[in-house]
Amino acid sequence: MTEQAIEIENAARDRHQLRTLAVAVTTVSVVLFAVAVAIIYAFALNRIWFLHFPLGFYLLAQGLLIFAVFVTFWYVRVQEKIDLTRSMNEEVT
Amino acid sequence: MALQSRQRTPNPHLGAYYGIVASLFVSLAILLAMAEQLGWSHRSIARLMILMPMILYMAIAVAARTLNIEDFFVSGRRVPQVYNGFLLAAITVGGTGFFAYTGALFFAGFDGLAIGLGWVCGLLLAGVLFVPYLRRVGAYTLPAFFEQRFRSRQTRIVASALQIAPIFLLVTAEVNIAAMVLSIFLPAAFWLCVLIVILFIAATGILGGMRALTWSGSAQFITGSLGLAIPLTIVAVVLTNLPAPQFTYGEMLGSLTNAEAASGVATADPGSLTGLPGHEPAAAEKPFLQTFGMISEAGYFALFVCFALGTAALPSLLARSGVTASVADQRRSTAWALLLVALFAITAPAIVVFAKVLMFGDIVLIPMQGLPAWFNGLSEMNIFRATDLNGDGSISVRDMLIARDGIALALPMLAALPYILTALIAAAGLAIALAASGSHLFTLGASLADDLYRSIDPQPIILPRLLVAWGSIGAIALLTAIYLLIADVDSLSYAVTAFALVAATFFPVLFLSTWWQRCTVWGALVSMATGFGILFLCLIAGGLFGIAETAAGTAAAALISAVLALAAGIGTSLYGPAPSATDITFFEAMRRPDGETLYDQAEAQAEIARRKTD
Repeated sequence: MTEQAIEIENAARDRHQLRTLAVAVTTVSVVLFAVAVAIIYAFALNRIWFLHFPLGFYLLAQGLLIFAVFVTFWYVRVQEKIDLTRSMNEEVT
Repeated sequence: MALQSRQRTPNPHLGAYYGIVASLFVSLAILLAMAEQLGWSHRSIARLMILMPMILYMAIAVAARTLNIEDFFVSGRRVPQVYNGFLLAAITVGGTGFFAYTGALFFAGFDGLAIGLGWVCGLLLAGVLFVPYLRRVGAYTLPAFFEQRFRSRQTRIVASALQIAPIFLLVTAEVNIAAMVLSIFLPAAFWLCVLIVILFIAATGILGGMRALTWSGSAQFITGSLGLAIPLTIVAVVLTNLPAPQFTYGEMLGSLTNAEAASGVATADPGSLTGLPGHEPAAAEKPFLQTFGMISEAGYFALFVCFALGTAALPSLLARSGVTASVADQRRSTAWALLLVALFAITAPAIVVFAKVLMFGDIVLIPMQGLPAWFNGLSEMNIFRATDLNGDGSISVRDMLIARDGIALALPMLAALPYILTALIAAAGLAIALAASGSHLFTLGASLADDLYRSIDPQPIILPRLLVAWGSIGAIALLTAIYLLIADVDSLSYAVTAFALVAATFFPVLFLSTWWQRCTVWGALVSMATGFGILFLCLIAGGLFGIAETAAGTAAAALISAVLALAAGIGTSLYGPAPSATDITFFEAMRRPDGETLYDQAEAQAEIARRKTD
């Protein structure tokens, strides 16, 4: 492998790692932040009613779970695109 | 040397096979429903509804028997993503979730939701942080992953030894729940039911290892889901006119609050109730919607994080990280598992609200209309006991003692529905408990055989590899049976302790191993020892200083231990020598999304080296 090819591969690897880290941090922090907010403000949220449920209860029993499902499938899609980009770059080099 | 990728094609007829399994299960339920109308006894219906599916699961396990090492440990690495998702969901929830979590919600209401939320977020953490990298490595067990990552047999031995305690607690909890269900519906003593369950799961594990567990477990998940969905949907239609219990139980919350108030349930003072309910029958004194009445806000958060970290690093879940064909498949299968667990976590409060509305509503009417029809049925099953303590002709909430683990079973009877639906829920819960207990038993057996025994006998000469695995599974099964016959086991409490131990011991080291190149073998060892050691001390000293006495206390101790373990791992790695070039190369290879499984590469190269030496 030439020096230039190694440099290109390293750059592709670093880009892949950075994107992977960014999407992982985004996914985990968004869900954990939402859960933390729902727990901290549970008393206040329970004064509001939503679909026959107190809002704090609804979020912890359903809303955040549905949100976590959507975020996970979004993460899977984005991560697969990131992985595919790296594989295609390697094929080119 | 370039290694050829093995073609891994799943069986194209799997959909048809499991369609037949689902049809058989539904047909059996319909036949028994007709038999009930024709006057068959409840006992016969329950026995057939429970035993016939067990015969089916065993037949599948026999059909999936194997003597191939790769099939035995990782199901040939060709399990389709959705089927692996079934198993991951069944292991996460388990029979403990099915019965004990539902019961805990009945008593704790809002405060118990932390556990369900923890499972879901734990699967999210596992899917994002660990699973893709574990699949890329493809080790048969979690300790084997650590050996590959750090090229250290000691790390593998330590990890294997430290996972014995939590996984044994989980096996015990799941077998206890399965035996409890059997002892209610079969004419057999509890000890005999324990033996039946133990023999069943040990036979499944020994016959075909991960392969038998996967295909038998998929059938168990399908019957478990159907067995829960059918009765619950019927109850929802009866009570709310809509077949979507998850979204319509909100309409019942007003009725629930009124029924609770009429039965004498008053807002509990925070701290007056001691944490999550135990398995002994007790009075449900906390209003369902009361926020942080049984557990404080901090305790709720600790319990959530403990279950999230414990689920993310659970060795029984991560041992399944090598069973799919690729990294992408494994990631998707975790997403499917998360969807299924979320569905259960959304459904569990609906079961509880319906059961509570029906039970408390009927209790209020006792002075005018006499005892409700379900009163004797639930008393016979030892789920419900009530006495008019103050002799005023009515029964208040303090007069009712309810068994936590029987709430899900009680629902069809409370709604005055045919008995077959009670038997259906029992069969469903039993199926999930069998799937989970089998997987935990196999994880522990495989680890003892492949991690501990193999460190003594690296080239399996003294005993063949499979024989050791069979022996380990049999020995642990026997120990579990003996333990259950001696000890009084509270499944939920055992599960909390097990998840706490996993969160403290394995989450920090897994996080450092997969995301930090600088992590060294000593960092990993110190991190595991710190997490386990501190939590173990807290648990031992629990009775002495009041730490870790309750579920929230255990969870808080696990969090502190996990943080200290993380700090210890980072500190030791930075203090010691930097990782070698080989370690860095392995780390980079592990982070690559494609290519041949690293464990298979290492095994093939070791085999070539052995042949050259011979």
